[in-house]
Amino acid sequence: MRLNINSKYYEINSESDTPLLWVLRDELGLTGAKYGCGIGFCGTCAVLIDGKARRSCITPIGELSGKNMIITIEGLSENGLHKLQKAWLEIGVSQCGYCQPGQIITAVELLNENPNPSESEINDKMSGNICRCGTYNKIRQAIQIAAKE
Amino acid sequence: MKNSVSLERRNFTIGAALGLGAVVTGISGVSDLFASIDKFDKEKGAFSIAPNIWLEIRKDNTILITIPRSELGQGVRTSLSMITAEELDADWDKILPVNAEGDSKYGNQSTGGSTSIRVFWETMRTAGAQVRLMLVAAAAKHWGVPANKLRTENSYVYESQSNRKISYGELIEKVADIPIPDIKSIKLKSPEEFKIIGKTKWHIDNPDIVTGKAVYSSDFKLQGMKYAVVIRSPHIGGKLKSFDDLDARKINGFIGAYSIPEGVAVVANSTYNAFKCADKIKTEWIDGPIMNVGSDIISNELSSLLDEMPDLPANTVKSFEHIYEVPLLAHATMEPMNSFANFKDGKCEIFTMTQNPQTARSAAAKALGIGEENVKVNVLLSGGGFGRGHRNDFVAMAALISKLSGYPVKLTYSKEDDIKNDFYRPMSVHKVKTGIDKNGAVTGWIHKVASQGTVKATDPQYDLPGIKNLDVAKNYGIPTGSWRAVNNTQVYFVNESAIDELAILANVDPFDFRLNITKDTRLRRVLETVAEKSEWTRKLPKNSGRGIASFAGYGAYSAHVVEVTLSKAGELKVDRIVAVLDCGIAINPGNIEAQFMGAAMDALATALKSEITVKNGRIMQSGFHDFEWLTIKEAPKLEFFVIPSNESPGGIGEVGFPAVSPALCNAIYNACGVRVRKLPIKHTSLKVM
Ligand code: FES
Ligand code: FES
Repeated sequence: MRLNINSKYYEINSESDTPLLWVLRDELGLTGAKYGCGIGFCGTCAVLIDGKARRSCITPIGELSGKNMIITIEGLSENGLHKLQKAWLEIGVSQCGYCQPGQIITAVELLNENPNPSESEINDKMSGNICRCGTYNKIRQAIQIAAKE
Repeated sequence: MKNSVSLERRNFTIGAALGLGAVVTGISGVSDLFASIDKFDKEKGAFSIAPNIWLEIRKDNTILITIPRSELGQGVRTSLSMITAEELDADWDKILPVNAEGDSKYGNQSTGGSTSIRVFWETMRTAGAQVRLMLVAAAAKHWGVPANKLRTENSYVYESQSNRKISYGELIEKVADIPIPDIKSIKLKSPEEFKIIGKTKWHIDNPDIVTGKAVYSSDFKLQGMKYAVVIRSPHIGGKLKSFDDLDARKINGFIGAYSIPEGVAVVANSTYNAFKCADKIKTEWIDGPIMNVGSDIISNELSSLLDEMPDLPANTVKSFEHIYEVPLLAHATMEPMNSFANFKDGKCEIFTMTQNPQTARSAAAKALGIGEENVKVNVLLSGGGFGRGHRNDFVAMAALISKLSGYPVKLTYSKEDDIKNDFYRPMSVHKVKTGIDKNGAVTGWIHKVASQGTVKATDPQYDLPGIKNLDVAKNYGIPTGSWRAVNNTQVYFVNESAIDELAILANVDPFDFRLNITKDTRLRRVLETVAEKSEWTRKLPKNSGRGIASFAGYGAYSAHVVEVTLSKAGELKVDRIVAVLDCGIAINPGNIEAQFMGAAMDALATALKSEITVKNGRIMQSGFHDFEWLTIKEAPKLEFFVIPSNESPGGIGEVGFPAVSPALCNAIYNACGVRVRKLPIKHTSLKVM
């Protein structure tokens, strides 16, 4: 099968039950989406599928086709210039950084749906993304900065 | 801690001297990289020079700085680079931190105990200063002018009079003839001269992190590599009796299943296929040694070891004796443990997330039955550490699986496997017996702890008379290890809660009480500052309360005030955390604040709800769904203040943790009169008066 990832077509050899996460990481070498739990609980594996943040660890590629537009953190912008990436850099959100690609992808969906979210709307949307390093205050702040841009 | 590590000259390497930097910054495929450098080298001649083991200067003026400690998110790649770049007068934008492989020549590489800055502060500064002097000497010789007419800035040497300048990179061949300056002749900058230290730099890897290019341990890949997972006993200490991989063999991508000391290793052509194959393998286990044991039994048994307590002095007029308890905790790093290993021709190369590449090296050597000199351990970014990476079980296992399968392999623990086979923060039960005389002065302090053996009572940071620290042990064989702030997570919860209970017994305000029992000026200052910043005497609404606690350790002092409100239904809300830190010179202030924020979140999560429990010899949790962590909704703001200081820099990573849970429990008492003596707090019903 073929998948459209970051505006490029890839011929995929993995079997159809394989979660997108492992196709990205092991077959295609796109390691920006991370393995954190494998059961859809933590959000480190989030990628955009047709503009929606989806957990790639529980999305078998059999559910997808070449028609779906998949965007991973690597393809979010050229040179990290998406306004969320810029805001993340401006205030230094990352500690270990492992959760941050998933946080940013989820925040992209949030701003797509709601360009000017309140603090509690940010909390609601982002509460499924765990950060073990406790960067939540900065995540909130960075989303607010990006929303203003 | 002075020059604990050698600054001896290493051979000048003119040619391709390449560390791991390029891998860390995300260039794909290690072997490709070496090939391109070789080519470059043949055409262009001298490429770089490494005057000591800490620094390498490239012709293009890039400066590679050796980072001997592991990056876990604490920012060590940035802060050690700042320290070195400061003395070198280096151009920050052209700094490339390179992780050191595990080798004793780099000194102590154990990333723990908040020691990275303390141990390497002098060494890395001196290394930078030494190379700067050599560059100046080389430029002086080149221009035929005295060295004292030259100055350095942003990786250039300038001659003040003529406005001539030459980059460090252009000097690399010339530096080769310059003798190494004696360390004694090196004068380091005084704090007023700092240009880099003291000004926030966000993590140097951030641009790679937000674009998905940063290479964590789990992201490492070598052409032809296979993927491994492990199946282990469902019971603590259970051993493999037999396994049957007949069904797994039918799955595409299955490569092999191997009996290893921990259970069964399964190797396949992708991580997912390895998980799938593991699901199909039937296993039989020999019971572990504690099949009838559970957390409640351990709690009761440990408590009963505390029955006998020594007496307090005879002048004691009021006293109490209380039991406190904390549970097991998993590290639950965001990135489950994993390691790459390639065993070939009697040698093994590792890429991994260890917190100590030297012990990782010996662990792999031991597992393979080869000498350490045949093992190379490279350190990649780690998605959290918190102490977990001090155990190198995943490194040794990956090495063995590579040997058994004959492939380069990447071993990944599933989240469930990771949580169920951790080396946990130990569970402990404590008893404190203390009291006051007729004037309200403390008469004695007896703290006895019962644990599996590793938890020790330590002196409170105040001046108390008659301190007795005692411990008793019963070992159940539950694996334990170091966990952020180690012993202090338990002991400060107990000590600072009991100090609060003493203040209440003496009928003195808990802040005043603490000041009355310490003469330590740094401790007094953090306490006074946190009281001032939090407006300690401000009246709080009904059902709200505040608590205070302090910490002294790792060469630093901290104090926290927590404010809480309880709803009518007894629901607890943390309204505010105010933290004050005295860490001496603050190298990277913004990052220090971020670490304090993270430590506060850790401490809140573990105070409020996280715990690992045992039932019938099994660990009951398997992920963040049942080993609960805070979400963004529950994250309070942190108001953070650093005391300005020119004292030597202290530790940070662990300093922000220990005072939080007692300050929180003290606040709960202040709000509703319920004293929480057992963590997590979710076990105590909080009633509003
Ligand atoms: S790895 Fe997909 S949600 Fe955790
Ligand atoms: S930054 Fe480490 S898990 Fe979020």
